[in-house]
Amino acid sequence: MAEPILQTQSLTVTAGSRTLLRGVSLSIHEKQVFGLIGPSGAGKSTLLKCLNRLLELTPALKVSGVVRFHGESIHGPTVDADALRSRIGILFQQPIVFPKSVFQNVVFGVKHLGVIQKSALPEVAEQALREASLWDEVKDRLHQPALRLSVGQQQRLCLARTLASQPEVILMDEPTSALDPKSTEAIEQLIVRLKKTHTIVLVTHNVRQARQLADQLACICLRDGAGEVISQGEPCDVLCSNCAPEIEAYLAGG
Amino acid sequence: MHRKLIHHGFRFFTGLCALACCSVLMTLIWAIVQRGWPAISWRFFTEQILLVGADGGIFYNILGTLILLATTVVVSTPLALGLALLHGVYLQGNRWRSHLTLLIYVLNGVPSILFGIMGFIVFVHYLDWGKSWLSGGILLGLIIVPTVTVALVERIASLPSCYIEAAAGLGLRQSQIIRFVILPQSINGLVTGTLLGLARAAGETAPIMFTATIFAGATVPNAVKESPVLSLPYHIFILAQDSFDPSVSAKIWGTALSLLGIVFLLSLIALPARLKIHEEAHHG
Amino acid sequence: MTRIAIWFFSGVTVLTVLAMALLLLMQSLPVWQHEGFSFATGAKWFYRQQEFGAASMIYGTLVVSIGALVLATPVGIGAAIFTAEFLPARFRLMVKLTIELLAGVPSVVYGLLGILMLRNWIYELLAPFDPLSGDTLFTAAVLLALMILPTIMTLSDDALRSVPATQRHAARGLGLNGTEVVLHVSLPQASRGLFAAVLLGLGRAMGETIAVFLVIGRQDNQWPQSLFSLQPLIESGQTLTSKLGSSETNIAYGNPLHWGAMVGLGVILLVIVTLITWFGAYLQRSDHAS
Repeated sequence: MAEPILQTQSLTVTAGSRTLLRGVSLSIHEKQVFGLIGPSGAGKSTLLKCLNRLLELTPALKVSGVVRFHGESIHGPTVDADALRSRIGILFQQPIVFPKSVFQNVVFGVKHLGVIQKSALPEVAEQALREASLWDEVKDRLHQPALRLSVGQQQRLCLARTLASQPEVILMDEPTSALDPKSTEAIEQLIVRLKKTHTIVLVTHNVRQARQLADQLACICLRDGAGEVISQGEPCDVLCSNCAPEIEAYLAGG
Repeated sequence: MHRKLIHHGFRFFTGLCALACCSVLMTLIWAIVQRGWPAISWRFFTEQILLVGADGGIFYNILGTLILLATTVVVSTPLALGLALLHGVYLQGNRWRSHLTLLIYVLNGVPSILFGIMGFIVFVHYLDWGKSWLSGGILLGLIIVPTVTVALVERIASLPSCYIEAAAGLGLRQSQIIRFVILPQSINGLVTGTLLGLARAAGETAPIMFTATIFAGATVPNAVKESPVLSLPYHIFILAQDSFDPSVSAKIWGTALSLLGIVFLLSLIALPARLKIHEEAHHG
Repeated sequence: MTRIAIWFFSGVTVLTVLAMALLLLMQSLPVWQHEGFSFATGAKWFYRQQEFGAASMIYGTLVVSIGALVLATPVGIGAAIFTAEFLPARFRLMVKLTIELLAGVPSVVYGLLGILMLRNWIYELLAPFDPLSGDTLFTAAVLLALMILPTIMTLSDDALRSVPATQRHAARGLGLNGTEVVLHVSLPQASRGLFAAVLLGLGRAMGETIAVFLVIGRQDNQWPQSLFSLQPLIESGQTLTSKLGSSETNIAYGNPLHWGAMVGLGVILLVIVTLITWFGAYLQRSDHAS
């Protein structure tokens, strides 16, 4: 198998004397959907935010272990965390739109990163919105406040905003848990389409979603108060194996 | 690289600004301690003014300021409690509430000299009190009402609503809820707000200079009419205007150091708790 | 009982405030009758000749407080950006404490520092422009800037921190660095609160009496040749508050017209400061609500 695009080795996160994540080692391959499932509070979001160093913005958390992106440590002295984050985009649980227009939201990243010319912005916006299947719904109200969109549209807007800066990896933190079934379906279809061009790490606690979308799956459960990877591999192996009592309990509980 | 450079430059600049703010305080304290410390002695606190401020101490100035502050507490406490409870309990969900909030903020912004002018009209002339400690105390009390009220309002707002609901669920009447639930829980808001208000009142000069305080010749007031007191801020204010005599100069700085000591003492007792309440009220 | 007490004491406070405004207005009536609106626009104040114009004092108040604002706003907002956006949380309380202490320093202490130190420094600094003394509008502006710095800083810090952390994280997640987040997320979203902070600082500067009184020189009838001239900055002058704080208040009481003129200055000050504070508080509150 080819070299993984993202790889963690004995990744541990502590908050003071408390351990949130312990010894996480994962390999995430290019142009696949890597699913992360597990009960609430097991540290899935924490793990996700380690992958683009967004966790550093939360004070008092300490990360140890290695994360490699294209084989190189993301904590290396020469790595620019901001540049890293523009290559590894993130989508949050709740859509976080800026109180600006739809258009301003889509181009927010690319505009301020200064990677493209100002005259090219409308084109970039259209392409990103098309990729996020939002173009047809918003093309007539690009300059209206984004907060007027429905929550489902806002989440796709956030996705478009991330896509606009052409990241290689998109981290998704339970992107559908705040959405209605129809918007959920729209996002799920998008994920299927996007994995042709992007690597996706998808946190979910929806087992059906994980089974349907993920190419590889890891299950994180609490052991001694800290999140650990209980098993990983093909979705059916992870979800069907009865090797760990935690998974069984988790699946039984839904 | 360009972006990084801007980032570091910007952060450095804002850091300098913060450093400048903090160093203003350090410089100020240093300037006053350095000049005022030589004047500080036991005699300075226990004797009265001699030779128009060139000799003696500031006993009656400290006493006068303390008398004013005591009156201030008596005046401001019921007014602030009334306003805060009206705001927090009776006007809950009422459109008058935001008007009251604005009024409190506006009152907080009224220049203190205008309280002095009003006191001059009402107390000194209408009531014919002349200069009196009581007018000074009342005026200072009015001035700190907003400070105390805001502290109380923020504290009341941060009370978990389940306390009040639980009490109401037990069948307590609103007045009982106020007395047995809200007041005991928000008493630290009252205390910290009052201490901060007093810290401000202790240094106010403008409201008392026409109404309550004189430079020399007053001791302990034993009436209301024609009963001025001495005070620390007015002492500094008068001496500062003809401060060319070096022996006077030492005494001014000593007085300033004493005033600053009182103000900082009051603030430092109150601030940690006050800041915590404020953070909770505004930033979850 | 409780209910009656609460309504009583609230009523006392509110009525006192309203009565105070009314009282000042009524006492100032003679001067408005005598001078008409030219009380506010006339620049000449000669009380022995029964001539009362407040304009030179309004001018003085505007120059020193706007000057103070120009000096204090960049530093205050800069410092607030640092504490709200860059400073690790464990130092926050310490800096906040320092700033609140600074805000509590009595104005007479600032005045003392102004009269014994700042005045001389400014005199030397302005030497190339040949000022008559160190008592200038500029001195007052510098002193006021120091006094309103903590106000502006602490209110700006509040405004910036009321921008949700999720907004910052979303922008950082797109690859923007800390400064870009401040410039494109925090500052635009806190702009109302920041504007309110500046307005409340301005209100405080305009009402400040004692410190200004001690360093401004209290020279009546200083009217600039041109409104945009910088010359008055290096000359002494008079503000509404320094006039009200002077011994002329004691002299004026017996004469209704003269007293009306003094109180009239107070009314003008009250109107300006109330409008500014009201607008600032309004902006600040609508900012918190959103």
